[in-house]
Amino acid sequence: MQFGVFTVGDVTADPTTGRTPTEHERITAMVAIAKKAEEVGFDVFATGEHHNEPFVPSSPTTMLGFVAAQTERLLLSTSTTLITTNDPVKIAEDYAMLQHLAEGRVDLMMGRGNTGPVYPWFGKDIRDGIALAVENYALLRRLWTEHTVDWEGRFRTPLQSFTSTPRPLDDVPPFVWHGSIRSPEIAEQAAYYGDGFFANHIFWPKEHFVRLVDFYRRRYEHYGHGSADQAVVGLGGQVFVRKNSQDAVREFRPYFDNAPVYGHGPSLEEFTEGTPLTVGSPQEVIDKTLTFREHFGDYQRQLFLIDHAGLPLPVVLEQMELLGSEVLPTLRRELDAMRPAHVPEAPTHASRVAAARARAAGASTTTDATAGAVA
Amino acid sequence: MATRTLAVLSAGLGQPSSTRLLADRLSAAAARLLEARGLSTTVEVVEVRDVARDLADHLVAGATTPALRRALETVQGADALVAVSPVFAASYSGLFKTFVDVVDRDSLRGVPVLLGATAGTQRHSLVVDHALRPLFSHLGALVVPTGVFAAPEDWAGGGGDPLAARADRAGAELADLVAARAPRRTVDPYDAAPDFAALLAGGR
Repeated sequence: MQFGVFTVGDVTADPTTGRTPTEHERITAMVAIAKKAEEVGFDVFATGEHHNEPFVPSSPTTMLGFVAAQTERLLLSTSTTLITTNDPVKIAEDYAMLQHLAEGRVDLMMGRGNTGPVYPWFGKDIRDGIALAVENYALLRRLWTEHTVDWEGRFRTPLQSFTSTPRPLDDVPPFVWHGSIRSPEIAEQAAYYGDGFFANHIFWPKEHFVRLVDFYRRRYEHYGHGSADQAVVGLGGQVFVRKNSQDAVREFRPYFDNAPVYGHGPSLEEFTEGTPLTVGSPQEVIDKTLTFREHFGDYQRQLFLIDHAGLPLPVVLEQMELLGSEVLPTLRRELDAMRPAHVPEAPTHASRVAAARARAAGASTTTDATAGAVA
Repeated sequence: MATRTLAVLSAGLGQPSSTRLLADRLSAAAARLLEARGLSTTVEVVEVRDVARDLADHLVAGATTPALRRALETVQGADALVAVSPVFAASYSGLFKTFVDVVDRDSLRGVPVLLGATAGTQRHSLVVDHALRPLFSHLGALVVPTGVFAAPEDWAGGGGDPLAARADRAGAELADLVAARAPRRTVDPYDAAPDFAALLAGGR
């Protein structure tokens, strides 16, 4: 089981002081959070990608490369990479480069992006969102798995005799997750390729996402990648944790009440009831997170949103320390004990390289397949 | 006997409300006239006031409560709809419109709809035709020709209960449309897989 933090990189005023961090402060805070994630025992740091204020992370590979240089074990990922408005050629190259620099500690999550104006700013039409996600990703996979690509599609300049460089590390591209909050087409895409599916269920009731994840699991099995319970599932959630529950609720309430995304709507209590948000003691975070497994089955990756709504960096880092010392060890132990042996861990570069070599070895006993060619 | 579901959308604010009273008369008339055409009816009522806060939270914070989801599914999945709003400022009420705003686009396309409105004065009687009807035309609904408007004097009866006569005429129009159509099949997007091969091939 992998645990991580994911950030949207919002620049939000602290409602208790009225102070808004500068972009520079927010960007350096995100790096501090990533480094803290490794220090306290998280497995993954994932950054969003946005091209509009008040969000700062427009250049995930720059940030992740900088973090890669200052960490040793942490997996670097995105939440999400815009497969609709980014050029798939540039994604292939940027993330292959990052993969080399980070010694394989890279995967990424594809998303369509939900900010209307971003599409026209990048020359695209939001009404083509699904078609863009499908075509661009199909091209991205070919660029990563085939050395020389001839390609023609609806949305991009044709390619003739094109080789994306650098080639993926060990000829094994980064593992890909597909994030979606409502589109069966994206769950289908994840299942079709045997990729991971990430349900960021931080705003909506779980019932909706249970159906979406179940659909992905069924289709993963349909496409022959394994049984439904072996499909690779990630979930989002957000936490605010203090030693005791009352302190957590009292301290977090002004941030919740004024958060741009969910402020001025349901009460903290209503929102906690209906969504993965947990505000409370370490035991409450443990208990609620364990319910995710009851609803969604054994899953591979849990990402927590911790640094939003104007929470100051020291408070974010305190949350992470408490999670690292008092929540993650228990969750790991309990979830690992409950997980059946045939349900895999989340793929890593090492496990994917091993699987590719096993496949190549299997193939070379019957054919003269070139070693290193990987599906 | 074959069965159809009739959703009733009532946006009255008080309890009891004359809007709900009209909605009940219209749905009762429609159900009776459907029965006369060999169709039994399951009537499911959505009182918009019960999900008023849920609607506001949904709009400003993206939260969807189970109660709001049930209300939306009731309206979106029905074979026919009776929709009744009180008149505020010469139109349907804001709360009524808020609910309609949140209904899935295209879920009412081709669905038979009977419209009604209530107001404190007869002078608003054209609201059904100059406010509600265009709204449901925009949604692609199959609105029956007779809309039913009720002002205070309609509840006084007398003169042969003209409200009942209008309700029966509208109910018969709705029943004819429903009876002429196959039962609604609501497609669960997670039951049938999208045609990914077609998507990959560049289909829209």
